[in-house]
Amino acid sequence: MSDLLQLVWSGLALGAVYGLVALGFVAIFSVREIVNLAQGEYASLAGLSAISAVAAGVPLLFAVVVVVPFVVAVSVAVERVAVRPVRHMTPLVSIILTLGISTALKAAMLLFWGPEAKALPAFPGKDFVFAGVSVRSQELWILGVAAVVSYAVVAFYEHTTAGKALRACAEQPIAARLLGISPRTATMVAFAIAGFTGAVAGVVGSPIYLSSWSSGLTLGLKGFVAATLGGLVSFRVAMLGGLLLGVLESLAAGYGATGYRDAVAFVVLLLVLLVRPQGLALKATGVRV
Amino acid sequence: MERLRGFLPLLVLAVVLAIAPMVLPVNLVNMGVYALIYGLAAIGLSLLMGLAGQVSLGHAAFFAVGAYTQAILVTKTQVPGMLAAVLAVAASMLVALVVGLPLLRLRGHFLALATLGLGIIVAVVARELEVTGGTSGIFGIPKPSFLGRIYDSPQEYFWLLAPFVVIGLWLAQRLVHSRTGRALGAVNDSEVAAECLGVNTYALRVRVFVLAAGYAGLAGVFYAHWLAVVSPEAAGFELSVTLLLMVVLGGLGTVWGAVIGAVAVEALDEGMRSFIPKLIPGASGEVQLLGFGIVLVLLVVLLPGGLAQLWARVTRRRGIAAATAAVSRAEHDGNDAAMEYSGLQALSRLLAQADVTESGSPLLSIRGLTMRYGGVTALGDIDLDVRAGEILALIGPNGAGKTTAFNIITGVLQPTAGTVTLRGKQVQGRRPHVIATLGATRTFQNLQVFGSTTVLGNVKVARHLRSRSGIFRGMLGLAGREEREIEDWARTAVAALGLTEHADRPVTDLAFGQQRKVEVARALALAPALLLLDEPMAGLSGTERDSLAWLLRRVRSAGISVLLVEHDVDAVMALADRVAVLDDGRLIALGEPEDVRANPAVIAAYLGTDADDDALVRAAAARTVPA
Repeated sequence: MSDLLQLVWSGLALGAVYGLVALGFVAIFSVREIVNLAQGEYASLAGLSAISAVAAGVPLLFAVVVVVPFVVAVSVAVERVAVRPVRHMTPLVSIILTLGISTALKAAMLLFWGPEAKALPAFPGKDFVFAGVSVRSQELWILGVAAVVSYAVVAFYEHTTAGKALRACAEQPIAARLLGISPRTATMVAFAIAGFTGAVAGVVGSPIYLSSWSSGLTLGLKGFVAATLGGLVSFRVAMLGGLLLGVLESLAAGYGATGYRDAVAFVVLLLVLLVRPQGLALKATGVRV
Repeated sequence: MERLRGFLPLLVLAVVLAIAPMVLPVNLVNMGVYALIYGLAAIGLSLLMGLAGQVSLGHAAFFAVGAYTQAILVTKTQVPGMLAAVLAVAASMLVALVVGLPLLRLRGHFLALATLGLGIIVAVVARELEVTGGTSGIFGIPKPSFLGRIYDSPQEYFWLLAPFVVIGLWLAQRLVHSRTGRALGAVNDSEVAAECLGVNTYALRVRVFVLAAGYAGLAGVFYAHWLAVVSPEAAGFELSVTLLLMVVLGGLGTVWGAVIGAVAVEALDEGMRSFIPKLIPGASGEVQLLGFGIVLVLLVVLLPGGLAQLWARVTRRRGIAAATAAVSRAEHDGNDAAMEYSGLQALSRLLAQADVTESGSPLLSIRGLTMRYGGVTALGDIDLDVRAGEILALIGPNGAGKTTAFNIITGVLQPTAGTVTLRGKQVQGRRPHVIATLGATRTFQNLQVFGSTTVLGNVKVARHLRSRSGIFRGMLGLAGREEREIEDWARTAVAALGLTEHADRPVTDLAFGQQRKVEVARALALAPALLLLDEPMAGLSGTERDSLAWLLRRVRSAGISVLLVEHDVDAVMALADRVAVLDDGRLIALGEPEDVRANPAVIAAYLGTDADDDALVRAAAARTVPA
């Protein structure tokens, strides 16, 4: 029993990291219908940068506070340099483009930090045992930060005028423009938010799950799977989907199939896409001819 | 002559590939071997991406299935190498079929990410299973030997591979220009229009997916023998990205691009591997990815058509000049009277083959048709019959539900309730191509021409249902006679609409009104029993409207039924046998034009009267009450 609880608990912490990455996918897709395959790289980049900063003597929490805006700036730069100049953004083009961005970022990290995976020191706090479950303080940090960030993102998109304007851009770009909402600014803000959630995922997750140049791929894909559960437009379902995925993986690993752990997410992805491609939370949308 | 011109570049390629190993230094030949192996896989991926418009981010999965199957059969069983290769390719195609059947129902981003997931699952399974040798994989795969010759040097292996690449390219090129290729191109341009012309888009996509996997599987077989080792890396994401880059760099939509792209990417790979460590000392690992990533981004931003676009830019200057000259000559030479006469003949010929039922019986009958979007009722409980050989016009104010009705009849939308019976078969909720098979096709209010091809190419797609050759006949070029028939019928349909002089121009070069006519020609070329026209007069000039009305009368007298949505009420009243009026999702009148014109409800719907205001207010109030 306590084994099961332990697995669920560590799964929740892992899932919160996936959920944070998933929020970034939703942040962009709900504004521009682009699946940003570089989303996972933001987390690696944040983790690795924070590790270097700490190694250079910067206090941990200060390093985190500096690194997150840095990754946000990278994400905004990506939008400016690569996404904005493209005129006809079809799904095919957006996939090739963001795949290119992701590949270039990955290779740049490999050049700069080398191939080894590294860990950020754990955030302040004490590990303890509660009801037979050993709880790491870092796991509490992850879940706490994930809760705060997802609350803030949902509040921004759903309860502020600026956030609603962003979504209006996706649904009615011309109408949104007529109301004075610039799709350019909206896309930029969306990329900034995606950079933010990705970076947060990277810094809070790094002490347990490590950071390396190549970890962004699987992390990003799992975030995408979580986001797909919400049809790529629901923040709430994306975060819950991340948690669910984390727990499933943790259980799969705990009950003997360690090697297949990475396949769990994709089996879930395929099942979800086949059963309900529009996501678990949404109505079908119509075609117009 | 035409055939010869198609062969020439292949011949040049064959000669280049034959000479290359003799003149190039061995390290370049070695690189060439990899370029050919990956190029083979890229040809398949190029068919999938360029022709079928589907992204696969996990194409390495099929490459790996081929490589592993070959490796296992050759090292652990007594199966001879050749047979093993056939089995390995078959295994790749089988896997593609099994996963493709469900996956290809997905579109765009979702399909791309699902294939990515598939690639990762295959890599994980290869790493975990005992039969695939775990992380270290399978090693000790011997170099192939035929007829006492062992292909063990880069030079020999290059020569072994080259014929497969040339033939693979030739077959792929054939496919692009076949009936299947034409249909796929159409699907890529406008899926809904292709479906409405009888193209089963899903089945085609599955077939191309399986074919692409076959190419990848064969490449995997060559890879296994050349490397002598197959490890989970063969299914890796890096390889999928590399293949994708080859296709994109060469140019989407051209199979040649895949081979050129493969050579370019391999050269880039080698270059980056030696260049980056010089630039940044101590760099190791997959550093060439930096170049791949940057090239992908630059391509999308600066040269979305890849190297093929660059080539077209260089060669087109002459091309455009020649084409413009030809067009202006045609315009000057066009003798109107003669044209009219040949058009008439063409029309008679076209209509003579119409597959019609006896006049008077209901061809299409609609019962209780209802469509709701959330709380809004777009169509409420409509009953309507279209008799064989009549022109029935569907009119009504904007938002009355005319196009919704069209979309349901042609299978583009699923109704909330009600039945649609076409020639005795219930078809509501069936896919558009099923409805086209029963002889009903349509044109579109928002034009859906196939923009990547010519006027003639558009019309040819409509002959899809009336021809049979599949992927294999297309690839082997065994459909010559059928192709000539298709060409002949398509030219007839083009002539019937008076578009002969534009037949070989890109359809997007035509004026809006002419593009409408292309849609009508396309629909007629299918030889339908029921023709559904969604605002065919919009954008036409006065004379063009008259000639279209004349044409529709001819169509009717050939026994074809026409269901027409039109805003031009005068034109409708003059043309239609019966008129149905929709207002606010309800059928408010149905009858002969004179009766409908005098119907007070119709007048109220079009003009609005004081007496009607109360009813309107009540109706509006009724609608706002939540259902």
